[in-house]
Amino acid sequence: MRIVCPFCGERELGEFTYLGDTKPVRPEAGASEDEVFDYVYLRDNVAGDTSEYWYHGGGCRAWLKVTRNTLTHEISSIEPAAGAGAAKVDA
Amino acid sequence: MVDFSWAPRSPLEKALVAGVHGARRIEADVSLTEIRNFDLVQLMARRGKGTDLAKAAKARFGVVPPDAPKVVQTPDATLIWSGPDQFFVLSKGGKHTVRTLAPALSGPASLSDQSHARVLISISGAKARTMLAKLSSIDLHPDAFPVGAAAATSMDHTSVTLWRGNDRTNGQAVFNVLVFATFAESLWHTMLDSGAEYGVAISHSENLA
Ligand SMILES: [Zn+2]
Repeated sequence: MRIVCPFCGERELGEFTYLGDTKPVRPEAGASEDEVFDYVYLRDNVAGDTSEYWYHGGGCRAWLKVTRNTLTHEISSIEPAAGAGAAKVDA
Repeated sequence: MVDFSWAPRSPLEKALVAGVHGARRIEADVSLTEIRNFDLVQLMARRGKGTDLAKAAKARFGVVPPDAPKVVQTPDATLIWSGPDQFFVLSKGGKHTVRTLAPALSGPASLSDQSHARVLISISGAKARTMLAKLSSIDLHPDAFPVGAAAATSMDHTSVTLWRGNDRTNGQAVFNVLVFATFAESLWHTMLDSGAEYGVAISHSENLA
């Protein structure tokens, strides 16, 4: 598998580290135990397009948001995660 | 009271043995030169200050710093892209150090001195590309990686900053690699192994290529 880093271009998988699903959002302080349990442990096991964080640690050290099909490994979109690149901080 | 003296020493001081390594030919087809005693400062834009850093750097260096994987040359410094909104300033002789750059650039950027944290290896020779192809997944064909091209990438599982300098007078390409000091000896040995079949001419120099 290769990932096209929006900053570096096409690179081999070995330069990247997988973090996980971009969907879970940290619950507000005081959220119920069920909400926290869901946030920490429960993931949708999607057969199809998922949105994931990948880290280009062996390259420009930017975090990326990658849409990948879990059935085919086809990547349909890659964008810098918020904060990747100071100029694009609100991206 | 004990007097300490802090003499700078290359992390490759033991590993680098000047001379020829591997195949003995009329002329070694790979040359590895360690460049010693350089000034290296990394600038990273503060949050939301990418554009401000580019402006301040233009005022300081007279050129716009690289905003893509490439290098920009000034009369006395090389600005090397190292990631989004960040770059290295490589120079000699104390002209561009954290101390001299901070007044103009510490507003929009954080500066960190990497002079003694990196080793700089310059690679050239008729088989330089072939030797590097064993270590790097970057396409180094002249069409894909011309003079001035740069890459933040990995070689032998080690993060490096790679760029193509100006060609030698004989037309041969020059590839420069900045590697973390503590990984330098390991990468150096890997480069020697990779180049051995072509013959490697080993040296060190005080001059930036
Ligand atoms: Zn990258």
